[in-house]
Amino acid sequence: MPARNHKQWTAKPDLELGEWVDSRIYSDEEIFEEELEKLWKKSWIALCHESELPEPYDFRTAIIAREPIIIVRGPDNKIRAFLNVCPHRGMTIERRPSGSFAPAQPSGNPKHMTCLFHAWQFDMKGNCVDIPRQKEGYQDRLDKSSQGLRALRCEVKYGGFVWVCLDDHTEFNVETWTAGAMDCIKDSIDAEPLELIHYHKAIIDCNYKLWHDTNSEFYHDYMHYHNRITGFNDEYFQRECSAFDNGHVNVGTFTVNYEEYDVAEDRGTLSFPNLPPDNWYMVDMFPGLNFNLRGSVVRMDLMTPLSANQVMIEFRGFGLKSDSAEDRAHRIQHHNSIWGPLGRNLHEDLIGVAGQGVTMTPKSEPRRILHGRHEGAYIHDEIGMRHFYETWGKKMDRLPSDPEQKYRPGKVVGPEMPPAKGLSTFAGKVA
Amino acid sequence: MSAEEQHTKSLVRETIYAATVYLDDQRWNDWIDQCDEDFKYSVVTYSPEVRKDLSYLILSRKEMHPYFDLLPKHNSDHSPLRRHASIYTVDVSADGKTAEAVTSFIMTQEMIDGISAPLYAGENRLYLTGKYYDKFRINGESVKFTERVARVYTRRFDKGTHWVF
Repeated sequence: MPARNHKQWTAKPDLELGEWVDSRIYSDEEIFEEELEKLWKKSWIALCHESELPEPYDFRTAIIAREPIIIVRGPDNKIRAFLNVCPHRGMTIERRPSGSFAPAQPSGNPKHMTCLFHAWQFDMKGNCVDIPRQKEGYQDRLDKSSQGLRALRCEVKYGGFVWVCLDDHTEFNVETWTAGAMDCIKDSIDAEPLELIHYHKAIIDCNYKLWHDTNSEFYHDYMHYHNRITGFNDEYFQRECSAFDNGHVNVGTFTVNYEEYDVAEDRGTLSFPNLPPDNWYMVDMFPGLNFNLRGSVVRMDLMTPLSANQVMIEFRGFGLKSDSAEDRAHRIQHHNSIWGPLGRNLHEDLIGVAGQGVTMTPKSEPRRILHGRHEGAYIHDEIGMRHFYETWGKKMDRLPSDPEQKYRPGKVVGPEMPPAKGLSTFAGKVA
Repeated sequence: MSAEEQHTKSLVRETIYAATVYLDDQRWNDWIDQCDEDFKYSVVTYSPEVRKDLSYLILSRKEMHPYFDLLPKHNSDHSPLRRHASIYTVDVSADGKTAEAVTSFIMTQEMIDGISAPLYAGENRLYLTGKYYDKFRINGESVKFTERVARVYTRRFDKGTHWVF
């Protein structure tokens, strides 16, 4: 067909329900607000890693669905999470991204969280322990014992990641929430303590789901010379995509041939415990969190949706706490070569979603976004996105392909077929 | 300060500013030619977000050729990064054979593509701030980099880049 007129362009595609979505789910502000309430405030989100709070009184701040959160390690070594909001006048209690409450602050005692505005103080369990001139101001009408912080559900799970859920009444703990999706990497990341080795962030003008989509499908490997040259063999095309309850997906492993890329280093000797040398698993957690175990390093992407058309992505890398200085240096080099801010792949991935964000701004013309590739649930099958949007549709009670309609089931799983082989239709490997 | 030391400092300054031009113009081979055989390049930062020193890139001179040679095979923006550099200090060793310099720099990006080209092409954006900590080997009129540490004060890179700082 030649280039299409408007009617053809906006017509329903010759695909089944579930094999495409309407671009308004990536740009509509009302839908975005609903997602914060129905998805983000109901999900367990890994906000940081325990190695970011190594000592008692250390803290880290974060955001879920616009709610400011503070995570602290108490003198009992337990990690807890609270809303980072003073119950007095709604001031942000701690304004820094991380630090320690062990030293005194200009208006607070050591070992306390202190709201600098009026010096209300809290201990590491969230108890309000001091209200200056309480008796004079409140007489017997209000007591510090009733003014504790808002405690949030918090668990440290799977390699020491700190998971928080805003919903007090969620039916899930972290294990039941993840529903088996982390099983493919848990023996590797739980084998011994991990330690953060990398951090940087991006703010991209695109919907958060577009980044999650990119992490959920590998068809875009055509964009990455590094992945084409080190992968794209028969074993690569046998990587299986698996769907799990609650919208999660993982992608099975294969052996990456790093030596095919001129400036890459083999990662075999430093590959994670219980992981075959140079193997690579990907786990995509609903609604916006990714774990990527690639040989010698783990990467975690945390999405913080800022608006219908803007997302902050924090990129963390992890090695083993027991690393020698030499091993750590190699792990960092392995991480940065593809995933650092100057890395080969991350830049290309971000160009992709930034380009999608340009075409899907709020109020732009609705169009079809295709998720209809069926390749027997192997690597270039788009089952990951279809599974995500089935879960999204159920939780939002909206039809992803027409979000003004109520949800009804679409096609997720395609016909069984053998994995694809080789690169018969693509010349990129020899470019 | 002796006339000889003054002359050496001048050579060091010229070398740093020439490197700035080469990197701005993506004349990678000219940049590499300024570096001695044992040259080490790194991009580092301190992140208050995680309270750690971090490394974002480390390259030896040997690794720089394939690093730059592979650039055309990779997708990237076409929005050049350029530096504004101010040399703060140049210190020459007593024997005149080595020198160290500290240079403050900012990088700006000339937007051509990367976001919406019809909207933003032609605009310049602040990309990062940092300091170069350079070391040199001096042999007569020849001044070669032996080390460049680009210490940046930026941890938010948005789309990132394939070009060195």
